[in-house]
Amino acid sequence: MAVAATPGTAAYLDRIAVEERFRDVDPVYAETRDIRMFGFVLFLLADCILFSSFVFAYLYLRTSAPVWPPIVDGHQIERLDVAFGAMNSIVLFGSGVTMHFALESWKHLNKLAFNMWLVLTILLGAGFLGGQAHEYLSAPMNYTSSVFGASFFTLTGLHGFHVFCGVVFLTVLGIQANRGVYTGSKYFGLIAGTLYWHFVDVIWVALFFLFYLW
Amino acid sequence: MDVAAHPVEEHAAHDHIHPAPEGFIAKYVFSLDHKVIAMQYFVLGLLLMLIAGSFAELMRVQLWNPAGTFVQYQTFNQLFTMHGTVMVWLVLIPLVTGSLGNMVMPLQIGARDVAFPWLNMLSFWLIPVAALTLFASLLFPTGAPAAGWTEYPPISIQEGTGTVFYTLAIIIVGISSTLTGLNFLVTIFKMRAPGMTWTRMPLFTWATFATALINLFATVALSAALLALFLATAFNVPFFDPARGGSPVLYQHMFWFYSHPAVYIFILPAFGVISDVLPTFARKTIFGYKMIAFSSLAIAILGFTVWAHHMFPSGIAPWLQIPFMILTYIIGIPTGIKIFSWMATVWGGRIHFSTSMMYALAFIGTFSFGGITGVYLACVPVDLHEHGSYFVVAHFHYVVAGGAVTAFFAGFYYWFPKATGRLLSEKMGHLSFWLFMIGLTGTFMPMHWLGLEGMPRRYASYEVFAKAFPDAVFWNRVETASSFLMVLSVLFVAINIVVSLRSGRRAGNNPWGARTLEWMISSPAPYYNFKKIPIVLDKPYDFTQPLPYRNLDDPNQDPYPKPIEAVIPRRAPVAT
Amino acid sequence: MAQATPSTPQIVPVKGMGPGFIPVTIVMTIINVAVALAVCYLPLDFLLPSESNPASDSAVSIDWLFKFMTVFGVAITVYVSGYVAYFAWVFRRRPDEDINTVGVPIHDAPKLEFWWTVLPTILLIILMALTIVAWKQIQFPTTAAALTTEVVAHQFYFEFRYPGMQGAVYSPKGEMHLPEGKPVKILVSSGEGDVIHQFWVPEFRLKIAAVPGMVTQLNLTPTRLGRYDITCSEYCGKNHSIMQAKLVVDTPADFDKWLAQARVTAAASGPAISLSGGVADTGKALFAQKCSACHSVAGGFDTKIVGPGLLHITDDPAHPKLVDGKAPTPEDIEEILVKGYVGPIGAMPNRQANGLSDADIANLVAYLVSLK
Ligand code: HEA
Ligand code: HEA
Ligand code: HEC
Ligand code: CUA
Ligand SMILES: [Cu+2]
Repeated sequence: MAVAATPGTAAYLDRIAVEERFRDVDPVYAETRDIRMFGFVLFLLADCILFSSFVFAYLYLRTSAPVWPPIVDGHQIERLDVAFGAMNSIVLFGSGVTMHFALESWKHLNKLAFNMWLVLTILLGAGFLGGQAHEYLSAPMNYTSSVFGASFFTLTGLHGFHVFCGVVFLTVLGIQANRGVYTGSKYFGLIAGTLYWHFVDVIWVALFFLFYLW
Repeated sequence: MDVAAHPVEEHAAHDHIHPAPEGFIAKYVFSLDHKVIAMQYFVLGLLLMLIAGSFAELMRVQLWNPAGTFVQYQTFNQLFTMHGTVMVWLVLIPLVTGSLGNMVMPLQIGARDVAFPWLNMLSFWLIPVAALTLFASLLFPTGAPAAGWTEYPPISIQEGTGTVFYTLAIIIVGISSTLTGLNFLVTIFKMRAPGMTWTRMPLFTWATFATALINLFATVALSAALLALFLATAFNVPFFDPARGGSPVLYQHMFWFYSHPAVYIFILPAFGVISDVLPTFARKTIFGYKMIAFSSLAIAILGFTVWAHHMFPSGIAPWLQIPFMILTYIIGIPTGIKIFSWMATVWGGRIHFSTSMMYALAFIGTFSFGGITGVYLACVPVDLHEHGSYFVVAHFHYVVAGGAVTAFFAGFYYWFPKATGRLLSEKMGHLSFWLFMIGLTGTFMPMHWLGLEGMPRRYASYEVFAKAFPDAVFWNRVETASSFLMVLSVLFVAINIVVSLRSGRRAGNNPWGARTLEWMISSPAPYYNFKKIPIVLDKPYDFTQPLPYRNLDDPNQDPYPKPIEAVIPRRAPVAT
Repeated sequence: MAQATPSTPQIVPVKGMGPGFIPVTIVMTIINVAVALAVCYLPLDFLLPSESNPASDSAVSIDWLFKFMTVFGVAITVYVSGYVAYFAWVFRRRPDEDINTVGVPIHDAPKLEFWWTVLPTILLIILMALTIVAWKQIQFPTTAAALTTEVVAHQFYFEFRYPGMQGAVYSPKGEMHLPEGKPVKILVSSGEGDVIHQFWVPEFRLKIAAVPGMVTQLNLTPTRLGRYDITCSEYCGKNHSIMQAKLVVDTPADFDKWLAQARVTAAASGPAISLSGGVADTGKALFAQKCSACHSVAGGFDTKIVGPGLLHITDDPAHPKLVDGKAPTPEDIEEILVKGYVGPIGAMPNRQANGLSDADIANLVAYLVSLK
């Protein structure tokens, strides 16, 4: 999410300043950050495989099913409510945007804006979880009667768990940031938090497509 | 979290060596030191090997008579399930990646520790937790899991309690190996000593790297498969229930997508061990360094594409069988490259018959044989006959016991002096070697023809088969008797360790005259490994050249390391 | 520990391939040729049951592949282990030798490496070709089956069904009979709510899994009279190891006699499903549960979901016959429900796969016939 900036403009100079600050830390820290970043990206990749496995299972079951959604007790299960799902998705994607601004504000040493954006992100994340809870309670199926329900609840449950962890993660980051754990040039934790939050968003894109649109 | 290592010369100003921790707990229990963690893995792995091996022996006793009456059928089913599960997940993975990988890899790349010591400690401690979870099933009236180590539903779901413990335990093992894989990948990518380019890395490290890739990317799929099985068993979620749209075959896909790569998790480090042991004792550079290194990667990647060869008669679409067969055949080619390169390494060397070398040489033969029976199984029509028979049992014991375990022993005899500073008794080593090899052949060779004649695996009693093929009784007795030679062999290893720790000779830095970095420091290695991070100029293996290192801790390092005369018998053992 | 005086290593040169290389190679080659001849010309009954007198057509092609692989597999094993042992021995360190003696510094030999990559590849390509030919014969036989039988696996016995014995179980723990020389198709499935089993006849060299919710099949022609063991080769629970049955290959005449006799016995002991007690309403509820995933009752034949629409099953002028070509009598509808039917539209599951009891079938038929 590079900020577009042409050389010579204020935005450009600002960007240079941020990058300089980011690089100009003591080399031990820079290297530690490097190592942790790499480890964190690998962790996200591995997590991705976890979701992929269940997505594979879902595709396998879905393509071998005679009709979809399946029929339970003589009634075909209703499709999920796309409108509600879409709204909830917007909430989650919105939180991705606000998180981006939170990190940018931190980079520009604007702590107030950072706090504001972060709180907004956390609220949106919690809002998404609330939406999911509503979705679960009003879902047209349960997790035992058909593989549709099984896949839906397992995958979105796994995702919801990730969002929940994300909310906790971001809250902890917020507390740490306000306690002075991070500085203008050392804020790996915030980068990791942002990356994780975007990851959770991207997974949701796939799930939303699989369960609501397809 | 604490990162203690980074290339020295770049930031010499920031270089600091952490003091070793004080106190028993910090030093030996919740240690962050990769060498201590490696020993913890070793002790736990060996202990569990004794347990899983005892299960195997109980099975062998049952099979002495065709109408096995030694234990009840269900007990036998629990025995082979626990034997397979413990051997695969709680013995081989801890021993091969956990113990050898942790002990050697950071030393070989000139690092002070792995990238994330905390995670490393967590990975280790998850293993005893998993073991306890698995054995906790014994507290329940239905007892241990009994659906085979593969736990295919619906039978595993029918078994209930045991499966719940099994899935939980193995998910924990899965998390542990994923974290280890992540840790090792970052370590190898980011923490090599200056000058150690990819093509200068020791081959064991290359193998560890390939293994770590599998650990990271396949293990999570296993966790997913077992999570699904757990949900199906405990919460009646219909993934695998055909009456509600599920599919039992789906589980097999999910399981083998991991578990085929998993077999390469044990064999790739074994390949690495062989590639390091052979040059040292042949006093000759490794043949075809690049091909050996890249074939590890090729095997790791191809390993992800062959899983359905375990499912040929399981009801998959016939047209699926052929691509999986072809991909499986292809794996024989990079593996063959390794085998032939090792043969060429032995050719023209000056072979020292240390115990480690004996195991390494034997490995080439036993593993090739096991691999070739694997190719038989990959051949769809032949597998339609052999699947589910003792031929499969023979194949995989040749590659696991004759391959991974044999190579583990090669590595164990090789690096034990580095880990403890003491030498093992070579005499007892040779004794355990011969016992192991004779036992291995006697136990697993007859299984080939038993399987071909029609003896199915996982049979607590083979009365009907013994009527059709009367020699079965004789061969099964040969197997049972031979399997006790392996027990003796392992017991001798254990005795050897105890004796050596109490009164073994001091090893010195480099008893074998080896050339990789781990031998350039004292044995056992100091807490910080390297006082000064070495600089690497070339591959380690060329015995005619001076050592390709600068900035070593020992200013008097002999540029042409040689074995201590007395360690390796001057005469080759007569029995060869 | 470091030595104060670094001494440079001494290299021992090797002449040619080393002493004794050629004789060793010759010996190993002789062994391999001998093994190859033995594999090709001796009866291998000690390795493979009834190898010298194969019991099925597949056994012939599978044994041939097995022998091909054994010739090369043994050769590779002998050369690899033989050379390793021989190299290790001739190049052993001599007792009187300086400790700093090292081997010849050879890093690679591109030509050699080329060949040891290419030769195995060629061998594997040949093997692939041979395998695919055999595989095609086994999986997709060209001759139509003269007889279709069903095997239903249960914890812990096999059940066998023959045409004309609808729903009737012939001797559940007993024997399966097949006619010699006739191509047969064996449909394998697993009982209702049961687990995975495998149907294996070692003498036939064939096995296939009985998977819940699926019908798998084996195609083969028995070629030798005899009694063989059928054995379960997939772990299926406590008594997996005693899950066996007998397979008897009869002459066609004996087989027909046996079948006729069995029909009589079956008719006497377990009659075909009685359709008289069927209740259409119960059938309707069951239909909604088990059939409506694939069948609509809102319209005629062309209202397809997966299978055809069933509203006018008995009175559709455009489709006067059932998909199996028979008239839509209750008995023939019943037959489709019992045996399933695989046709151009798709696969209609059999009663095991649909999980239908005798009463269920009677109710369903009553319901279907009542539809107008
Ligand atoms: C360390 C573990 C390990 C290793 C390395 C391997 C390696 C291989 N395995 Fe094995 N396998 C297992 C462990 C392992 N396996 C286990 C545990 C099972 C049973 C699981 C269960 O059901 O419980 C199993 C089962 C199994 C099956 C399923 C059988 C069945 O259930 O029906 C198959 C089928 O294809 C197979 C094939 C292979 C092949 C082709 C290789 C190849 O990688 C081998 C490659 C090596 C060589 C080929 C030898 C060296 C090469 C040369 C000397 C070159 C020249 C060779 C040729 C030209 C061919 N294995
Ligand atoms: C992965 C590694 C591995 C290893 C190393 C072994 C090693 C051995 N295995 Fe096993 N085995 C498997 C993995 C392994 N196995 C798997 C995955 C299965 C399939 C399970 C399934 O079907 O689900 C299997 C199945 C299996 C069977 C088939 C069961 C059946 O299908 O009915 C048999 C039968 O003989 C057997 C025997 C042995 C023997 C005799 C050894 C010997 O090598 C063991 C040697 C003994 C020891 C290493 C320990 C010795 C020490 C002692 C006993 C000391 C006494 C104890 C104390 C002092 C405390 N194993
Ligand atoms: C997996 C999908 C599926 C299910 C479930 C299923 N069927 Fe079918 N059925 C089919 C298919 C496909 C056909 C057509 C077969 C062909 O001709 O290729 C068919 C054909 C039939 C026919 C013959 C129709 C005709 O016009 O000849 C009848 C009768 C029938 N099914 C009844 C049932 C009943 C009763 C059930 C429930 C117990 C059921 N089916 C469940 C797929 C299914
Ligand atoms: Cu049925 Cu095993
Ligand atoms: Cu495999």
